[in-house]
Amino acid sequence: MIVCVAVVGHQNNPLYIQSFTEADDALKLHHIVHCSLDVVDERVNNPKKSGPTLNETFLGLLYPTENYKVYGYLTNTKVKFILVTTDLDVRDADVRNFFRRFHSAYVDAVSNPFHVPGKKITSRTFAERVSTIVKSFGLSSAG
Amino acid sequence: MANYLAHFQTIKNSCDRLVIAVEDVSDLWPAVKKGFEERLPFKRACLNNKTRNPVFVEKLAAEFILTTDPRLRSRFPQEQLLFWFREPYATVVLVSCEDLDEFKTILKPRLKLIVQNDEREWCIVFVSKAHPNNDQATKMAKKVYARLEVDFSSKKRERCCKLDIHSPEANFWEDLESKIMESIRNTLDRRVQFYEDEIRKLSEQRLMPIWNFCNFFILKESLAFMFEMAHLHEDSLREYDELELCYLETVNVAGKQRDFGGIDRGDDQAALLNPGNKLLTQIVQDDSFREFEFRQYLFACQSKLLFKLNRPFEVASRGYPFIISFSKALALHERMLPFCMREVWVVTACLALINATASHYNDGFVAPDIEKEFYRIQGNLYSLCRVKFMRLAYLIGYGTEIERSPVNSASLSMLSWPMPAVWPPVPPDASSMVLEKEKTILQATPRVKHFGIQRKPLPLEPSILLREANRRRASLSAGNMVEMFEGRPIFVDGSDSDASLRMSPSSKVHAISMTRTNSSPINFESSIDRPMRLAEIYVAAEHALQNTISDTDLWKSLLSVEEFEKKYLELTKGAADNYHRSWWKRHGVVLDGEIAAVCYRHGNFDLAAKSYEKVCALYAGEGWQDLLAEVLPKLAECQKILNDQAGYLSSCVRLLSLDKGLFSTKERQAFQSEVVRLAHSEMKHPVPLDVSSLITFSGNPGPPLELCDGDPGTLSVTVWSGFPDDITLEVLSLTLAAIFNVDEGVKALRSSAAPILKPGRNTITLALPPQKPGSYVLGVLTGQIGQLRFRSHSFSKGGPADSDDFMSYEKPARPILKVSKPRPLVDLAAAISSALLMNEPQWVGIIVRPINYSLKGAVLYIDTGPGLKIEESHPIEIERHSDVSQSATDMESCDQARKKDSSVVIEEFKQLTLQNGRIELPDWASNITSVIWFPISAISDKLARGTSSVTPQRQSIVDGMRTIALKLEFGVSLNQTFDRTLAVHFTDPFHVSTRVVDKCNDGTLLLQVTLHSQVKATLTIYDAWLVLQDGFVHTGQGDGRPTSDFFPLVIAPTAKAGILFCICLGTTISGDEAKAPQPESVLNIRYGIAGNRTIGAHTPVTVEPAGSEGSTQDLIFRSALVLQRPVMDPCLAVGFLPLTSGGLRVGQLVTMKWRVERLKDFDENAVSQNNDEVLYEVNANSENWMIAGRKRGHVSLSTKQGSRIVISILCMPLVAGYVHPPKLGLPSVDEANISCNPAGPHLVCVLPPVFSSSFCIPA
Repeated sequence: MIVCVAVVGHQNNPLYIQSFTEADDALKLHHIVHCSLDVVDERVNNPKKSGPTLNETFLGLLYPTENYKVYGYLTNTKVKFILVTTDLDVRDADVRNFFRRFHSAYVDAVSNPFHVPGKKITSRTFAERVSTIVKSFGLSSAG
Repeated sequence: MANYLAHFQTIKNSCDRLVIAVEDVSDLWPAVKKGFEERLPFKRACLNNKTRNPVFVEKLAAEFILTTDPRLRSRFPQEQLLFWFREPYATVVLVSCEDLDEFKTILKPRLKLIVQNDEREWCIVFVSKAHPNNDQATKMAKKVYARLEVDFSSKKRERCCKLDIHSPEANFWEDLESKIMESIRNTLDRRVQFYEDEIRKLSEQRLMPIWNFCNFFILKESLAFMFEMAHLHEDSLREYDELELCYLETVNVAGKQRDFGGIDRGDDQAALLNPGNKLLTQIVQDDSFREFEFRQYLFACQSKLLFKLNRPFEVASRGYPFIISFSKALALHERMLPFCMREVWVVTACLALINATASHYNDGFVAPDIEKEFYRIQGNLYSLCRVKFMRLAYLIGYGTEIERSPVNSASLSMLSWPMPAVWPPVPPDASSMVLEKEKTILQATPRVKHFGIQRKPLPLEPSILLREANRRRASLSAGNMVEMFEGRPIFVDGSDSDASLRMSPSSKVHAISMTRTNSSPINFESSIDRPMRLAEIYVAAEHALQNTISDTDLWKSLLSVEEFEKKYLELTKGAADNYHRSWWKRHGVVLDGEIAAVCYRHGNFDLAAKSYEKVCALYAGEGWQDLLAEVLPKLAECQKILNDQAGYLSSCVRLLSLDKGLFSTKERQAFQSEVVRLAHSEMKHPVPLDVSSLITFSGNPGPPLELCDGDPGTLSVTVWSGFPDDITLEVLSLTLAAIFNVDEGVKALRSSAAPILKPGRNTITLALPPQKPGSYVLGVLTGQIGQLRFRSHSFSKGGPADSDDFMSYEKPARPILKVSKPRPLVDLAAAISSALLMNEPQWVGIIVRPINYSLKGAVLYIDTGPGLKIEESHPIEIERHSDVSQSATDMESCDQARKKDSSVVIEEFKQLTLQNGRIELPDWASNITSVIWFPISAISDKLARGTSSVTPQRQSIVDGMRTIALKLEFGVSLNQTFDRTLAVHFTDPFHVSTRVVDKCNDGTLLLQVTLHSQVKATLTIYDAWLVLQDGFVHTGQGDGRPTSDFFPLVIAPTAKAGILFCICLGTTISGDEAKAPQPESVLNIRYGIAGNRTIGAHTPVTVEPAGSEGSTQDLIFRSALVLQRPVMDPCLAVGFLPLTSGGLRVGQLVTMKWRVERLKDFDENAVSQNNDEVLYEVNANSENWMIAGRKRGHVSLSTKQGSRIVISILCMPLVAGYVHPPKLGLPSVDEANISCNPAGPHLVCVLPPVFSSSFCIPA
């Protein structure tokens, strides 16, 4: 289950963060997303380590922990998408697919002339679209 | 083969270096042993690795063993093959022989026997005992050795070397070493080949049922071990890696249920770095090994090699994923394992790995990025260990000691509870412990947050422990909600109860109505199937853990809260420190916050505040407000306790600045009241603070305020207050920044009154002093609340500040104020273009034309120049100026002004009075062009003079010119001035010229007087008379007035009229002898004037208002005329004769000639002319001319008409250039009687002197 998705601006400021948990514990997800920026930074700042994936937007698994997984995606405008999931066996293709759809939703949201670049995304349409994408996560490729 | 496992282990343990066999043929070993063993270990050796590439190894350990040694003797051939790695790698044959025959007969066959074994790699050392002085013996030895070489060495390979015991050759040892090394290398290659073949064979059978992992393992490990002995660690490591891979593939083959292991006492302590923890024979199972032990064993072997390779970084980087994956494996088998085995194992594994890698790690030996990575992994290990440790502590009831922070919640609430098959039961004699736990649970009070902030604590548990534990009890069926919630009131922690209620809305009623009868300790023992209470769960867990944990240190740190905290702090610090040295700064800082929480609990507020500040800076710097809202109150509390008022104030303001949704209104009000209280408290120093996200400001929408240069104004600014309540400011000021001018010092505009900011939008009006021209944008808003000096850089775009405005300090492009460059704001001009009447009070109009600028309250200063005076007794008039000649734009603006004012009845005429030379303009005239009329009179004492037609002399226009200096003060505070000096032209009404029209025969002269109107007004002459000067009289009896029938005579503007007077020469007969002789005639004219004051001359201003329209006063104009007696005819003519054609030259004499001719007879002037001589005189400028003749003298000239004479004078010009020639004058004759005909030249050209040749030097 995806518990959280987030859009983080190029100055590492949160632009959109949405948790999908029942309990009122969004703050811990904020923490996870925030800390995962360490890994994103590390990968971006160490081109040696990223190697062949240098030009790829999909950053892959950021955190190998026991309990949850954090995936990252970096757009070419240095906006980061973070996905936190509690599924422990996630297929890379699913995540890539998810991020691709999420990216297009994001692009649509920021193309809104009333959106101020670098500000939080408040679009309700975007939120709805994101929740649709989250719900359908893993289904498309499984089916 | 598996039976050999135990044997294999013992062999492996007993042998740790390469063996070199020594075949001591001639009993020489005792003599040379010392020298041989001194060479060990081999300093440098070249061996081939598995891929047959040469590898240099250092300090290769080896051992020389005699072939007669029991260690090499008692071996079965099969054993030898299997454990081939321990067999000698080289055989050194020691021989000595002093006799050739002996060599041939005895030694050689024996040696052949020894070396015929192909398996062995051998070399022969010939030891020569011959003393160097004994030539015979030496020679013999040489012979024998030569023979030996011939027999045993081949071209391909030298196998012999010679050692002189008494004087060993220098290169003998190196020679020997290289020979031994060659043997070792060959043996190694052969054995590697052998093992590889064997392994390949076995691998091919892997899918067959007979396949046995143990056999494969023995072969593989033998090979690895052999590599290790040969110091080829890399190859050894590769073997282990392959082994691990193979094991993981086989161990998880479905269908084969094997024991996992890990149930022995002490298994909870990770042995992942200790290969010798357990004997392999203990863990063997069927044809393979138990996973729990074997995987640790493999990892231990790998890490041992890695440490030997000095790569502790790799141990750590392999270790972390190993622990994670091993933990997963433990989770799979958790039902079989002791309670919390998984957690305990991870804790010990992490600690072991941390200690081992840290002790092997040397700073600075690796690349910086590797180093950072190493510390990152250390941090990860610490962090993982910390999480598991916290979980254990929570299970035994230390949950209240664990900070419910996001980081703890993130790691604990997503970590599932241990899942034993059966939850541990309460130990039988634990009632006292349960009571104690219950007491601590009841005593624990939720930590009260500062400012009364109400937040639901974050969960530390994935689900409610109470339910989880009870569900896993053997006797209880899962999901018996009512029973489970029976224990609910015990919860002290809101989140749990809330969560539970939400999950089971149906049970809510029950839960509330449930009594606690069952939970009282009295009937504790009685009901065994009763669900466990929380305290019981804690006690049971503690009991179970005690059984699980064999590590005394770990157990000790779980025994008491203090010990727990100590360990917790140690782990947290370890994680934070390591993260700080890695790339993962955020992780480090966040953990600092956890340390701060512990410091805070222990009253170490100073440290806590420092750490919290770091955390706050991290979150604030990147705009993670939700997280900041969690930490900032804690920081504020620390600062409050530390009495750091400035910091506390700052924190309160920052709390207010946070997103409004993060705190309730009540909480925000609490922040504000703290801010106000602190700001007005007795702080020593004012605290400067940036409140950019709390108070924002913007200019009003619409076009910017436009001001003219030098004008003050008022600026209206919208200020958004983020305070939840009204707040009173002492001072509020704002700076403006010029857009294109950076270096200009910014001036702050101060709000006049102390403003009170309402929450939300406020409009503040600021007085604006005159600014320099340019465009201005809003700069910085500063203000003061008590001792708090705040400043805000934030410009809101017409709405409340966005909460994430933290980085966008972009300046708004829209200017708020435009001060235009100096331009004419008003124009003053004279309303008349033509001349006014001299000496009469006349209206002078001044057009005051504002140029898009209001003249409200303007004051006009009028200063008249000399010869001009304002008739102050008369009021000044002002009226709208409506001149058709004005330009179209003016008309337009006038129209606009008219339209604008059309609603108001405009007063367009007013009489004003002049006070001290100043007039105040009425308000209605502030935007329209108006004319100010004021009476003025120019005074001129001179009598107008008529001119004669003979000598027409025009009067200079300057005579009638008068100036009026005007100064207009206007603008908002009369700050603008406009100066102008107007020239007004005054003139007489007429210009009079005379002409004698005809000289009649009777001596009557007809004098025509022409009156030329000088003004643009209609003049009416009522009367005119001429008072003649001496020598002239009117003819007849007339008094000099023309016939009165002519009058009134109307003269149109600038027209002419003439009056004829008849006069004659003669003296006045009248008896007025006393009257002084009159030199001039005077013409008197009584006239009236009808003109428009807007055009020019007009009826003079009556000082007293005229009684009736008709009785306009007639004006008198007097003009002096000079009449001359008629001029005589000339009687002499003087002519200047032309000069010689050669021209004049300085220094050359020239003759000037004049001709004097008598034109007529001097019949009338006979009296004066008594002889026929004429007096002449030559006048010349003595600087230019030298006269060489008589300058003055008499010449005779006949008195007859037509007689002529030439006067010649010798002259010399003195200077070159155009000069006046000398003049001839006739002093005795009146000038009027001389005619100069032709008129002499005015100037003559004089050439410079000729150059003197005497100054020329021939070339």
